[in-house]
Amino acid sequence: MPVSAGIGLRAQHHLHVLSASPQTAWFEAHSENYFADGGSHVECLSRIRARYPLSLHGVGLSLGSTDPLNPQHLANLRRAVARFEPALVSEHLSWSSAGGRFANDLLPLPYTEEALRHVSSRIAQVQDALGRQILLENVSSYLQFQSSTLPEWEFVAGVAAESGCGILLDLNNIYVAAHNHGFACHDYLQGIPQHLVQEFHLGGFSRIDLDGQELLIDTHGTPVCEAVWDLYAAALRRFGDVPTLIEWDTDIPAFEVLEAEAGKADALKAAGHAVAA
Amino acid sequence: MPSLRELQTRVLDALLAASPENAIPLIAGFSGPAASRLGVYRNNVQSNFEEALRSSFPVIRRLVGADYFRQTAREFQRLHPSRSGDLLHAGAGFPDYLAGLHHDDFTYLTDVARLEWLVQEALLSAEHAPLDLQKLARIAPAEYDALCFELHPTLRLFESRYPALRIWEANVDSDVEPETIHLHSGGDRLAVARCRLQLQFHPLSAGEHCFLNSLSRGESFATAVALGEDSDPRFDASAALQRFVAAEAVVDFRIRDLQDHNPQDNGTS
Repeated sequence: MPVSAGIGLRAQHHLHVLSASPQTAWFEAHSENYFADGGSHVECLSRIRARYPLSLHGVGLSLGSTDPLNPQHLANLRRAVARFEPALVSEHLSWSSAGGRFANDLLPLPYTEEALRHVSSRIAQVQDALGRQILLENVSSYLQFQSSTLPEWEFVAGVAAESGCGILLDLNNIYVAAHNHGFACHDYLQGIPQHLVQEFHLGGFSRIDLDGQELLIDTHGTPVCEAVWDLYAAALRRFGDVPTLIEWDTDIPAFEVLEAEAGKADALKAAGHAVAA
Repeated sequence: MPSLRELQTRVLDALLAASPENAIPLIAGFSGPAASRLGVYRNNVQSNFEEALRSSFPVIRRLVGADYFRQTAREFQRLHPSRSGDLLHAGAGFPDYLAGLHHDDFTYLTDVARLEWLVQEALLSAEHAPLDLQKLARIAPAEYDALCFELHPTLRLFESRYPALRIWEANVDSDVEPETIHLHSGGDRLAVARCRLQLQFHPLSAGEHCFLNSLSRGESFATAVALGEDSDPRFDASAALQRFVAAEAVVDFRIRDLQDHNPQDNGTS
């Protein structure tokens, strides 16, 4: 996977990418959007994959759930991996189902030893089923559980150590969670072992007022904010130059806007922030 | 301390069924009420689900209006929450749910919803190469009765006493002002399919509909022809086969083993 910045591929841009062949280093697609047996999305991604390196990024496996892993979902993911031969496969450190019902959202886990052991064994199952390592992404969150006993970064690092997965560090999610829960982003970065991080995500958030308090919501619908660019520069210094992705999921702008954001990430790297690793 | 399973069950109940009281004690203290924090997730959960239904049923949404659609989507989600990490199939039960509301105006809407769902299925099913005519030509006449034709994986059959396709076509492009369609201006009998990314609607006679329906159940060509002829005296089997092969609705065949008993097959051979 090239270390230059890639762009999150959304269906709105399929035809532009195929007709204009932009100089994007790589694309990342949401795995579930290409689970269908056939049709235009699957066809477009096959053609895009023939020209660009690809990462598949899952949003629905519900890794942290205590329900058994959904065998159909896992089979669909395995088929997508076989079909599109991605360089990276990632999932979220979250859960979304209980008793067979799905919320279809990325819900945070309680950061406990029980959850750490549980999610690690689930990741091991997925890695066995796919026959490869996956990357695990930290999520944004708007609440914390009373029962949590570990800081989030210790939980993330612990899961990676126990399951053998890599880490996809979403710097926007760290910033959002740090603001919402009152911890320091710096502590988070320092708590993640350098050799585990294999990808960065960058995206935008929104602010809402909730009961007189400002809450940051991970909407991926705005440009990356200055504070997150600063955090990215700090992450480059700590973790070195790893593939970076620009994500935009709501109010999706023209492709050129995403290219400009990717260009900004590459410029930060070129400015010499990536020295470690 | 609740187990992970118990915590997840209580939180999911709060998000899907709007009963936050059992989940609130699980949330760590902060300056605002825990219910508001759960409410942020609840909004996400509802809008993700509604978005999936919107993309499957754009015509229904246009016909009933955005507010009523949102309200109906929420109630449908409450009663029939998603059973998958992938929302592609979340709307499978939506047409039946609309039918179950027994709203006077919903009889035609239910049929339009069924058509929209079949369109989505056709758009997402696997591609298939056209029928190999040379392979078919090598079949000995003695084997004709045991021929079982295979339909294109995207093909779906549809029937309605309303002009559902005209309603769908008039409303699918939200930028175009829809024409007025009289609900009792004739019904539909169709095959919906996708051929090389192109959505197709084939109007069917009663005999053709019976014939394709029989083939879709895996019954033999002989059985399908007999059913087509029974339902429609004007049904012409060889013309129908030619038409559906040319349209790539019929894409493959196998010779049924005589041991290969199909309990649904009437077995006219």
